[in-house]
Amino acid sequence: MKLWILFIPELYCLLMGLVFFGLAMVARPNPRRDYFVALLLGSAGVVIALASVKLEGTLFFEAYRVDLFSQVFKVMLAMGFFLVICLCTELNGIEERHHPEFYLFLTTCTLAMMMLVSSVELLTIYVALELSSYSLYILVPLRRGHGIDVEAGIKYLMVGATSSAVMLFGLSFIFGVTHTTYVVEIINVLPNVISNPAAIVGLLLTLCGFFFKLAVFPFHFWAPDVYQGAANQVTAYIASASKVAAVAIIMRMVSLVGGDSKYLVDVLVTLSIASMTLGNLVAIVQKDMKRLLAYSSISHAGYVLIGILSMSQTGYASAIFYALAYLVMNLCCFLVVVKVAQDGSDLKIAQLAGLHRRSPILAMALMLAVFGLAGIPPTIGFTGKFLVFAAAMEKGYITLVIIAMINATISLYYYILVVKAAYLMEPDVEQPRLPVSLPTKVLTGALVALMVVFGIFPHHLLEVARAAARMLL
Amino acid sequence: MSMEFANFPYLTAILLSCVVGLLVILFIPDERKMLIKWVSLVFSGITMVLSIYLFFAYDKTQGGLQFVEKVLWVESLGIYYFNAVDGFSLPMLMLTGIVLFTGVLTMWELETRVKEFFAFTFLLVAGVFGVFMSMDLFFIFVWYDVSLFPMYPLIAIWGSTRKEYGAMKLTLYLLAGSALILPGILYLFVNSGLNTFDLVALMQPGTFTPFQQKFAFILLYLGFGILAGVWPFHTWSPVGHVAAPTAVSMIHAGVLMKLGAFGVLRVAIFLCPEGWQYWAQLMAVLATCGIVYGAFVGLAQTDLKYVIGYSSVSHMGIVGLGLATVTVDGLNGAVFQMFAHGVMTALFFSAVGYIYDKTHTKMIPELGGMSRTMPIASGYFIVAALAGIGVPCLASFWAELLVFISAFKTYPIRGALAICGLVVSALFMLRVVQRTFYGEKREEFDHLPDVTFGLGIPRMILVAVIVFFGLFPSVMLDVIQVASIPFINGLP
Repeated sequence: MKLWILFIPELYCLLMGLVFFGLAMVARPNPRRDYFVALLLGSAGVVIALASVKLEGTLFFEAYRVDLFSQVFKVMLAMGFFLVICLCTELNGIEERHHPEFYLFLTTCTLAMMMLVSSVELLTIYVALELSSYSLYILVPLRRGHGIDVEAGIKYLMVGATSSAVMLFGLSFIFGVTHTTYVVEIINVLPNVISNPAAIVGLLLTLCGFFFKLAVFPFHFWAPDVYQGAANQVTAYIASASKVAAVAIIMRMVSLVGGDSKYLVDVLVTLSIASMTLGNLVAIVQKDMKRLLAYSSISHAGYVLIGILSMSQTGYASAIFYALAYLVMNLCCFLVVVKVAQDGSDLKIAQLAGLHRRSPILAMALMLAVFGLAGIPPTIGFTGKFLVFAAAMEKGYITLVIIAMINATISLYYYILVVKAAYLMEPDVEQPRLPVSLPTKVLTGALVALMVVFGIFPHHLLEVARAAARMLL
Repeated sequence: MSMEFANFPYLTAILLSCVVGLLVILFIPDERKMLIKWVSLVFSGITMVLSIYLFFAYDKTQGGLQFVEKVLWVESLGIYYFNAVDGFSLPMLMLTGIVLFTGVLTMWELETRVKEFFAFTFLLVAGVFGVFMSMDLFFIFVWYDVSLFPMYPLIAIWGSTRKEYGAMKLTLYLLAGSALILPGILYLFVNSGLNTFDLVALMQPGTFTPFQQKFAFILLYLGFGILAGVWPFHTWSPVGHVAAPTAVSMIHAGVLMKLGAFGVLRVAIFLCPEGWQYWAQLMAVLATCGIVYGAFVGLAQTDLKYVIGYSSVSHMGIVGLGLATVTVDGLNGAVFQMFAHGVMTALFFSAVGYIYDKTHTKMIPELGGMSRTMPIASGYFIVAALAGIGVPCLASFWAELLVFISAFKTYPIRGALAICGLVVSALFMLRVVQRTFYGEKREEFDHLPDVTFGLGIPRMILVAVIVFFGLFPSVMLDVIQVASIPFINGLP
């Protein structure tokens, strides 16, 4: 087998990037053309990612590993990319002449994240991470705005650059302790020296860089402002695909310690509880839908950490499942945000009033998605939470599970407020029905079906997640 | 996949008729209101007929689990789609079928957002049926949560008096309960070492140590107890009942609260019998408090629905007291009381709902002499009130008798207190009846129509059920005993 076949999803992304680069050169903006090209290429990307799911091998002097773990995440990333493109029919938040650039940086970011989930060498990981971050640093202020976009962009850049620096510092510690940058060799050395303070400090500092991506407390400050400041589609991408990649790489790093490390577990438990509690409590007072989703994402980072800190195959498998669940539910929420805020403005929760009459199908999708985020069956969100908690319980973390469940109850309050706005509130001024095109209906139906069907029949997905998690150990 | 079907899958058919009913309603246009109501009626009718059929088709000489359906669902976690019925669940299934059917009929005059109302109702009831028939811990929890969250829109959209507050309070309380149940279930799952959620497999004696049983029992008891209206976690219940629309009050007080008590029985008591015996004293104290407290607070209420709400707290206390006795009679009485109270409360809310729809008030001082303006509607309420007091020949009499006899034997002081509570509740029921239905007649209600024959059908069904099981209690007790005697004899 030729080695370059292993690299096909990434090569394809690169190719897509070139196409958009070419489109950006064309003088006359044509949003319809850009959109259809992106849609076509994006859907082919999903197919290619799916087709390459069984590939296995290593590339680039063992720095790059293609296995089920990485390929599953690449499928999720390609799916996230495609679904975000599906939301771009009304890309009114970004000026028309910038549309090709928008697609271009979305593509490079996806490419970088695909590389991130496959990298098994510290410097490659760093390079991939920075490529994805820099794409996002440009995407955030692209919004046609009133200054809020610039503020968000700068905030994102500052926090991101700082955490990158911290992470590099941590990487140097790891290199110092283990004398290698290859993950395969670190796995052999690190568990023996994990009680060494330098090793644990190095690992934690390295994780900081990824915690920033996932918006784990105390690296969450950027999330609400960036969510609000960026264009709705960009926020959707940051909230879904970018989070999935962060979960993958955190799992890769945490799995380095091999089995249990009391220090690391303690730190992760603390961060998890702090993220959940802070995210949920602050979300209660939010008035803006995107800010609410930002705080909800902070709390979800806490839940997904529970699966990771269990450090077992079931734990990692549950985190992978949770990442997928989170991707689908979040994109469903953003679908509603994008469709209701047609002009690309921010969506206040109060603006959802009367949605059940304006568009019953969007109201239903929103209800299912937020109940899924709250962890109510029969949605995929419940199954994800259930698996994560079961994994933690296997390790005997019953207090953590009870705290997490109490948090889930708290979160229900603000999720219900969203449902209440959509189903109970009536707008002050009568709003016309929302035009929902047939493709949008199909997309909504598909997302709802994904949420419910995998919530009720998780068996096959869970088997894939378990097989992928086995690759880490 | 391993499959095991005895014969026609009746239990799945019940669930499917709820789910299919829901889907059919979703695809009917909003404007075809009559069609939606007829579809709901047909599908709820199917569930009622099936559940009554199961009750009488159950082979009492053979006992045990029957109508078993078992399919492996998630292999790696040992989750089974495992439905079966025994003497404890049969009365509950029948209760749900009857209350759903009569509830749909009661809402026949609904005009606002009809489609969504019946869609949510079917989702709710699918969850309720699921809990009663499932024998797999995972599915019990899933169904339990499925039955809770439609309560929010049902109360908040179609309710009355402080509906948003009531709906939010109810939802948060009940889901806080499930925040205790899930850790409890997972704790048992992990510590069993069997890697299965199959209730029957986990029930084998010796699976859990006494400490594990005591710990898990208290989590599960409190979690499910919140939904069962156990004092002092009952405060959501009167508020929620008052806010809810009639059919939802019926389903909620009639069936959903039983879900909590049934969960205590099916999950907590079945899996942790030693924990049960250990905590029984506490359960008895809380139950007695509930009985007495509910009666006294009910005495002070002026809103008809609040009166019923607090009498529910009191009556659910009787269920709790029966469960706390750890005797055959206590269990029989508790399960019988769940059934009897369900039917009775449904009748209560159905009668009050009619009066409220017509007079637009449910305040006792504003009503009066209703027995002359609406003799038939008043009649239904009075029958329910008599059943609530525990008048012989009505179903609750036997249930309460069994519970109090066994409670008196096991806990004389608490039993005596509880009986005093019952006397107070008789007092307040009679006062309510006297003030609302007798006394000065109100001129302004003279023109209001009484219950027509069509609208009377659901109430008649409920009265018939109350009287039937009051006259022939052995029909019910024989079924329950099939489950309770072997269970108590098998206790360590």
